[in-house]
Amino acid sequence: MRLTVVGTPGDRRVTLFAAACARAGLAAPLVVPWRDVLGGRPLTVEGMLRIDSPGEDAEANALLRGPGDAARIGGGARWYRTFLDGLDRLRPYPSFADVGDIAVMFDKRASHARLAAAGVPVPPALGPVGGYAELRERMAETGFHRVFVKPAHGSSASGVIALQAAGGRIRAQTSAARDAEGWYNSLKVRAYTDEHEIALLVDALAPDGLHVERWFPKAALAGRVFDLRVVVVAGEPTHAVARTSRAPMTNLHLGGQRGDLAAVRAAIAWDAAMDVCARAAACFPNSTMVGVDLLVGVGMRGFAVAEVNAFGDLLPNLTGLPGTSAEGRDVYDAQVAAYLRTSGEVAVQG
Amino acid sequence: MINQFAESFAGLPVFDFTEETELTGLPEPESVAWRLRIADYVEEFEPFQKLFASFLEHVDTARVGALLFGNWGPTYDVASNKPLGLLTDAAERFPNLRAFFFAEFLQEEAEISWIMHDDITPLFTTFGGLEEVVVRGGSGLSLEPLKAPSLKSLRFESGGLPGGVVRAVGASDFPALESLELWLGVEDYGGTSSVEDLAPILSGERLPALRELGLQNSAFQDRIAAAVAGAPIVARLEALSLSMGSLTDEGAEALLSGQPLGHLARLDLHHHYMSDAMMERIVKALPGVAVNVDDQNDPEDDWRYVEVAE
Repeated sequence: MRLTVVGTPGDRRVTLFAAACARAGLAAPLVVPWRDVLGGRPLTVEGMLRIDSPGEDAEANALLRGPGDAARIGGGARWYRTFLDGLDRLRPYPSFADVGDIAVMFDKRASHARLAAAGVPVPPALGPVGGYAELRERMAETGFHRVFVKPAHGSSASGVIALQAAGGRIRAQTSAARDAEGWYNSLKVRAYTDEHEIALLVDALAPDGLHVERWFPKAALAGRVFDLRVVVVAGEPTHAVARTSRAPMTNLHLGGQRGDLAAVRAAIAWDAAMDVCARAAACFPNSTMVGVDLLVGVGMRGFAVAEVNAFGDLLPNLTGLPGTSAEGRDVYDAQVAAYLRTSGEVAVQG
Repeated sequence: MINQFAESFAGLPVFDFTEETELTGLPEPESVAWRLRIADYVEEFEPFQKLFASFLEHVDTARVGALLFGNWGPTYDVASNKPLGLLTDAAERFPNLRAFFFAEFLQEEAEISWIMHDDITPLFTTFGGLEEVVVRGGSGLSLEPLKAPSLKSLRFESGGLPGGVVRAVGASDFPALESLELWLGVEDYGGTSSVEDLAPILSGERLPALRELGLQNSAFQDRIAAAVAGAPIVARLEALSLSMGSLTDEGAEALLSGQPLGHLARLDLHHHYMSDAMMERIVKALPGVAVNVDDQNDPEDDWRYVEVAE
């Protein structure tokens, strides 16, 4: 079986996947660069598609967001429109991913609505907000004092604000920072308490679309709050990492750390947690792999899905959960195995 | 640890009593510390009132020794005198209450300085048998000087403890108090105490039984260390904590050049701004003392944070 990866030639995702193909005895996958997809260049595709992230390629990013500093915040709406156009170009090809699913996963409002409609636990959403004033009105109406404000098309906590407001006090924690050029993603979670500054940030993000959820209080272990990234392959939760932090965001580039998964497993209702992840993944039935961000409530009780990520599998050197079909194998091995099962082919060792 | 629930309190395992708790097969009342908290997110106080009423109905509270109040819903619009009022109004139902943890909100539920308190003196005057008390949050908190003959352990967890509360503690008679911890916090969050306010505590005159003292989480941790270095009470202590604050080499130097500390079992200095050299020196200077110098922050940093503020 020959596979074609849509990605960035030479980047880690593509290299790691190619290594898994080699381990399975498959031919090296063909790589179609996102920059060609987005730039309207002719595409050469053989066999089934694997659609991976356009990230980390300056040219693809410039096509998606327009020219400018890669760290800047904003431009999500344009990014999303261009990305959808690119996905459309991939639609004719048989694929292990589903372009419709990917489109939904990159719109946090649509993704949340799909999960909620399927009965998957998610934090309640505030509905559309067009700017800071409307955000505060909606918070007052609903009684939500503590919310997460997320750019609808953001990733990696870009522009995400953990916001709390009550009794004339306000506090926003975010990795966004401002310089003369405008807002950009820093590598540090800061707290803002000046309402004017917070309003500026929200109003800067709002034109690209916002998704606002009630802040789901997260459990902690060893003094740090945590969440789980669970990779679900062909319906089976196969890989998991715990991400821990002292800040409300657990992203590793913002100071989050890998946590002790065994301790988390021992502390929570693990099977129920994996069931929630599987149900979240089932909302995207034509996607062979999704990465589910699972929140665990304080006191280790209750779950909520924070996000489902179409490209949430960049977890190098992580082996599959014991007792799963991916035990001892990495996320890419697990996906190659699923591809082979789906297409009914047996790899020729060689 | 303000982002994890206490698993035990007053020597008992904590049992969570929430609106979701199965009311059959509850534990024996005296066998656990009961944590009353709302598990769901609510904006009203009524659910907690109902929870408390349900607790009175389903548990023989006369046999309850240890109690914790956690999330009671809105923290900012409802000050803690309302949940405290539920308890004091039902005082005759709790003749054996000896331990109370007030406002065990986790950081993910409400930042510590967003827990609005009020005068908590009625807690102590109503329940004379209290032996252990923890209060989380300092905003709006006030306290009158007390006579609390049974109290053995008292901890104020706060990002800003009002000076009036510190002075009231200093002016109180605590003949049985063995452990006292004050998280003093920073001025921005209402921490208005001064080193002078600590003088009555450091003299030890009203604290004849004190064995463990924590003066922690302070923006003027160095000056506290200097005051502790010459404080009469230190000779009687088994454990001393100057942790969570802005302690630098200056404060550590003052400690080392003050009265001997070799009699301590534990010296907790975690979360500090000491240099590597000073960390090594202080550990070597106190063989036989368990010195905790974990969580070093950059001594060169111009901004010095305390561990818990917001």
